[in-house]
Amino acid sequence: MSPSPLETVELIIKLTQQMSLYLVLAYLLTKTPVLRPMVDLAVHLPHKLILYVTFSIFCILGTYFGEQTQGAIANTRAMGAILSGLLGGPVTGFLVGLTGGLHRYSLGGFTDLACTISTTVEGLFAGLMHLRLRRSFQLEQLFNPFRVFAVAAVAEVMQMVIILLIARPFADAWALVQTIAIPMILVNSLGAALFMSMIRDQRTMAETLSSTHSAKALKIAERTVGILASGFNQQSTAKIARIIFEETHVSAVAITDTEKLLAFIGTGDDHHKPGTPISSALTMEAIEQNRVVFADGVQREYQCSLSRHCQLGSSLIVPLNGDNGVIGTVKLYEKKQRLFLHLNQTLGEGIARVLSNQILHGRYLEQKSLLTQAELKLLQAQISPHFLFNALNTLAAITRRSPDKARPLILDLAAFLRANLKRGTGEISLKEELEHIRTYLTIEQARFGDRLSVEISVPEALHDARLPTFTLQPLVENAIKHGTSTILEPGKIRIWAKPTASELVLTVEDNAGAFPEHPKESEGLGLNIVHRRIQGMYGPEFGLHVECEPGEYTRIQVRLPRRSE
Amino acid sequence: MSLKTLIIDDELLARDEMASLLEAHEDIKIVGEAANAIEGMALINQLQPDLVFVDIQMPKITGIEMLAMLDSDRMPYMVFVTAYDEHAISAFENNAFDYLLKPVAPERLAKTLNRVRQAEQPRDLTPLMESVLTHLPCVSGKTLKIVPCDEVEYAFSDLSGVHIATRSGTFHTHLTLKTLEQRSPLMRCHRQYLVSPDSIAEIELQEGGGGEIHTRSGQAIAVSRRYLKAIKQQFGFQ
Repeated sequence: MSPSPLETVELIIKLTQQMSLYLVLAYLLTKTPVLRPMVDLAVHLPHKLILYVTFSIFCILGTYFGEQTQGAIANTRAMGAILSGLLGGPVTGFLVGLTGGLHRYSLGGFTDLACTISTTVEGLFAGLMHLRLRRSFQLEQLFNPFRVFAVAAVAEVMQMVIILLIARPFADAWALVQTIAIPMILVNSLGAALFMSMIRDQRTMAETLSSTHSAKALKIAERTVGILASGFNQQSTAKIARIIFEETHVSAVAITDTEKLLAFIGTGDDHHKPGTPISSALTMEAIEQNRVVFADGVQREYQCSLSRHCQLGSSLIVPLNGDNGVIGTVKLYEKKQRLFLHLNQTLGEGIARVLSNQILHGRYLEQKSLLTQAELKLLQAQISPHFLFNALNTLAAITRRSPDKARPLILDLAAFLRANLKRGTGEISLKEELEHIRTYLTIEQARFGDRLSVEISVPEALHDARLPTFTLQPLVENAIKHGTSTILEPGKIRIWAKPTASELVLTVEDNAGAFPEHPKESEGLGLNIVHRRIQGMYGPEFGLHVECEPGEYTRIQVRLPRRSE
Repeated sequence: MSLKTLIIDDELLARDEMASLLEAHEDIKIVGEAANAIEGMALINQLQPDLVFVDIQMPKITGIEMLAMLDSDRMPYMVFVTAYDEHAISAFENNAFDYLLKPVAPERLAKTLNRVRQAEQPRDLTPLMESVLTHLPCVSGKTLKIVPCDEVEYAFSDLSGVHIATRSGTFHTHLTLKTLEQRSPLMRCHRQYLVSPDSIAEIELQEGGGGEIHTRSGQAIAVSRRYLKAIKQQFGFQ
């Protein structure tokens, strides 16, 4: 006796009602963190446990809500088994199917055994589908409602076949299948598809949520400002790792350069030791290919390369870029049994961008200061040999000629050398700088005699003005070395100061006019350093300005902000 | 036998010091001092010293540049003096030339003088010389003038010495025609004339094999037969 179309429609409606209740429950579930393993796909045991419990309950409820039909139960039990298999794999699917099946078995009826077996088979089948998609790296397809519909439909057809094969008497089974086949195949498939589309929406929402990760990255940026200015080393990265750890709530944070681990904080710090070489192939991959590597533990296996007992189960590795390509990585880890992952590719990339920028800035500052220090040393060293030996030769002559004049000259030379040695890279008063060039010029005037005359006119009111060390002296030295000493006529050097409300302009002028249009390295070096130091200290509107009228004069202006102690 | 000695240094005290140090040596007779290379060359030509102490760092023309401007046939012993010049010192050492470092130690000076007396110092100074002069020291009245070689049209000698002619005038120089011929782009065209090939506008050939060069500024210079061929070849004439 085949069922009338009316009966079939009636059954479909009843089952749909049941399914709706089911979906309402599912919807509520998506609002709790319990859904996270479904959204992220369960991999680790606790996740699978959650799946098992949840979907077993669904299975049992499906049986309870079922419709008594011809000594059997038309139901939506299959949805639970199929979904658990799809989300958790064959083992989870099998166990959920078995649990739901055994529960059904306990209720008796002529299809009890057939239903038990078929539900278990359905769970296993869905699980195998999961495995297949996973092996072909199409896991995303799991969330495609059409595919889920197809899987569920096939599973339900299988159930019908099993009922026909196992349930006896066959005539009853055949009658039953005629009644329930269409409604159950249709409703279970539709239900599974709808459920999955709900999960898919949830995933999309989770992705959207990741924009909040940008806010996290910003927070990290704010807290890490300036730390990397001291360089990309173990001390600075340890601080950075601590901040990322606190802000992201991941299980562990590591920072590496291209060769070794610089900082590690969180789970596993007992065997992840800063200073040790990078051993993870994933990290090397991120460095070599300059791309994000996300071993989420699902699509891509993650196993700690140091210890088999390491609790970390997934890792996001993001390369850090300096001015010449990759200089290291940031790694975020989650533990294997962690229920709710904080790992997220967007966040990782955001953090990496923030850090890369800071590293670049830090590098810049570091190099700038190193350069200035090195150059200053050079400047200090640069003046010595030629000046010093000529000075000593002059002293040798004067000692012979008029010993009483030699003594003050020796004192001036000593004062000059001492001041040169003890000067730092900071600022001094104009008075100190004038004294420094006075000692220098006294010696040079003794050396050149009437071939060098000097005129300094700086009002006393300006004596407390501040200027960088080694500002005027290199200019005066330059005026002699590349100016007055190269002409046959008597040389003349003039130094004067011109203040405005906000600026102080100091000028050093010689009468040689021999400033080369394209200074050779050795000639331009001293002035170049002076210029760059001033700009570095006060800004680009300050610095040196050279005017040269060949054969007439070279005039070098020093523009400084007007500041006094 | 005493050595006629000249000191060239732009620093008065440095010359004094050197003179004082040389007083200890009886065979050294200081015949003159010069405050730059141009005066120095004039004195070398005029006094024909045996020994010259020359500072390297001097205005306009350095001691080494001066070397190339001297007549190599009458080259005195040259001793270079410097306070600090790594570049020059390595050149001296590579060519076994003697040099002194300021301030000069008396013992070191004595050693150098011994080498000079025994003629151990190499006499051929060409390794130190720049092969081509780029500027020529000249005198115009009381002014010392440096003329870039590419401004020179021709050079000539007369009873009063050697002169360099440029478009802007003629200047006296202490360089000999021979030195100019060897070390500048000027070419010999007559016993008493050198000409810059760049300034030749035309060559008028005359009967008897000689000729006359007209320079770009309209000057006429005699070309004698023996030099005409080389000049014609310079421009590709057969």
